[in-house]
Amino acid sequence: MAKIKKFFRYENVGILFVLPAFLYMLVFVGYPIIHNLILSFQDVNAGNLVRGTKNFILFDNYLELFQDSVFTASLWNTLRFTVLCLVFQFIVGFALALFFSKRFSFAKPVRGILLVPWMIPITVTALMFKLLFATDIGIINFLLRSLHLIEKNIEWLTTPGTAMFALICANVWIGIPFNMILISTGLTTIPKELYESASIDGAGKVQTFWRITLPLLKPTIESVLILGFIYTFKVYDLVYVMTSGGPVNSTHMLSTYSYKLSFEMFKYSKGSAVANVLLVILLFVGVFYIRATTEGEND
Amino acid sequence: MKKKKLTALLTAVAMMTGILSGCGSKGAESAPAEKTPAADEASSEQESAGGENGGTAAAGDAQPITIWYYWENEGHQATLDQLIQEYNGSQDQYAVTAKYVPFADFKKQLSIGASADELPDIAILDSPDHASYVDMGIFEDLTGKFDVDNYYEGTVNSCTVDGKLYGVPFGANCLALYYNEDMLTAAGGSVPTTWDELKETAKALTTDAVTGLAFCSVQNEEGTFNFAPWLWSTGATSYDINNENGVRALTFVQELINEGVMSKECINWTQGDVMNQFIAGNVAMMVNGPWQIPTMQSETPDLNWKVTLIPKDAQYASALGGENYAVVTGGNVDGALDFLTFATSEEKVKFMMNQFGYISADKTIAESQFAQDSPYYPFVEELNYAMARGPLAEWPSVSDAISLAFNQVITGTATPEEAAAQAQATIDGIVK
Repeated sequence: MAKIKKFFRYENVGILFVLPAFLYMLVFVGYPIIHNLILSFQDVNAGNLVRGTKNFILFDNYLELFQDSVFTASLWNTLRFTVLCLVFQFIVGFALALFFSKRFSFAKPVRGILLVPWMIPITVTALMFKLLFATDIGIINFLLRSLHLIEKNIEWLTTPGTAMFALICANVWIGIPFNMILISTGLTTIPKELYESASIDGAGKVQTFWRITLPLLKPTIESVLILGFIYTFKVYDLVYVMTSGGPVNSTHMLSTYSYKLSFEMFKYSKGSAVANVLLVILLFVGVFYIRATTEGEND
Repeated sequence: MKKKKLTALLTAVAMMTGILSGCGSKGAESAPAEKTPAADEASSEQESAGGENGGTAAAGDAQPITIWYYWENEGHQATLDQLIQEYNGSQDQYAVTAKYVPFADFKKQLSIGASADELPDIAILDSPDHASYVDMGIFEDLTGKFDVDNYYEGTVNSCTVDGKLYGVPFGANCLALYYNEDMLTAAGGSVPTTWDELKETAKALTTDAVTGLAFCSVQNEEGTFNFAPWLWSTGATSYDINNENGVRALTFVQELINEGVMSKECINWTQGDVMNQFIAGNVAMMVNGPWQIPTMQSETPDLNWKVTLIPKDAQYASALGGENYAVVTGGNVDGALDFLTFATSEEKVKFMMNQFGYISADKTIAESQFAQDSPYYPFVEELNYAMARGPLAEWPSVSDAISLAFNQVITGTATPEEAAAQAQATIDGIVK
């Protein structure tokens, strides 16, 4: 009894608090990851998913993948898509956040309305953009033609390069509110006094932005960019609905290619290997995020 | 102090629930949301309807039998439900319920179900996938249990592996050419029977607002299904593309696109989209299946259209489609067989096929199923030229290579020769 009492001393109670979360992570996060890792080292297909032996072929799946042009293209696509989306989302989101931090009538309700793209289910957004970018009936081609910017309709979603552009447009539209709202929150944490004393010292708008706003927002910006990277990198539904990886595999992302390998072509092990590549990259980014946020706490 | 600990504990609990619910919603979000609300509703109705019946029939202890199917068409769902209700009312040993799984998720659910041991007792699945699941070992050998002598050869082949029967064809369908008769008369064209005539007619029918021809060219099984008639018409097979015949089929599709008589958008159009373009009057001719007829008749009863054989190059050809019933190993096999015996009786097959707009896989039934002036009749004729895809466990990979080839040609990212050579290399790697 005394021992038990001793165990529940103040320091050890912390373990109890952590335990539920730990168990939860172990079952719902740890198990799938480990299972997936094992799967990617085996050769599992339609023939031996249920019965038969699952041979261990170690890194063969990964080696084959890196010779597979669709895989390397989808890896490159995912990186390109993520970086381009992040750049535009962040710049526009930041600008909007600065704009709405000014006090003017309707600032708050309008900012609220701007959140709508973030709240709409992604499948709906994807279908909407698919129609916007349609060749013959799409409103984008209609507008461009009315403005005499183009002669012939642009085949947005049926030409490899422009299909990626359309995907990026859709995703930027979804991501702007997320960037805006987080940066807005960051802006409110900067004490007003700093701006007041800066203006007394004769600092201009540009100077205040570079010397006060930006440095003080650093932790927020880091979080926004890293979270944005993670959200964008694992994009699936948007691509699946808008292009399904086409035309001619040109917009496959790691996620969509993994799905295709596993559930359309029954190459379960290869599909899981692709998913693991995705996971490793995200883990890498995740470690950065944890380091960035804990540093912030220690300050 | 105590109070502080309590607060800390409560906070921890609150945070945990936060994490849990957060993850829950994320999971739901990332699941491919292909279900339409209508289909969703219909499926829940279906399930509840089945459940109710189960309830009435289960006055004793009826054993539950589950069926998975993927028809999103509400008419199909209601018809299946009616069949199930009749069956449940006819006996009290088994209670059948059906569950709708969206087509896009169907293969995934069966795969996951197979590895998690959570499968239905009966699956009604797309025939070209049948061989893959037989290879997986989840379907029961039905050899000798059903009389399929009268069935179309292609339909039986699709569920036969190594001479053993692993399923029963549900219904047969194939592709044929629909044409808008008013547009054809206005353009002064005649019904095309060869590729050259088809191209001429399509050109004559193409205007600023109308494209002459459309068929679904999506880069997946659906697209392969629609490209197969052109490929096979030249004499090429699905496994032998890099030759004069295969290249000719790809070149023909390329010409249709380049000469503007078919829209490039076809690579994003499902067969349903193609049908919608046709009934909206944006497309004058289309290749499509008989299952579109009920919708076309109810949506646009005044539209004047007819069906004919797909024009030929060397020989008439069409792709055979349709679903098969399969009995799942490890489920309630006796119950499943009992239901299938009921469902494959001539009377029930006739009822189901007519309601579905399908053609019976049973030749004898099919030939007397429609009057000569019925829009379905040309499909029965076309069935004589229709071939099955596969059956091969690796068919999905072969199909992927073929659909990549015609997508490359349509988008102009490869010449027909390059596309054929690349597809052949992939196929040779699969079928050694």
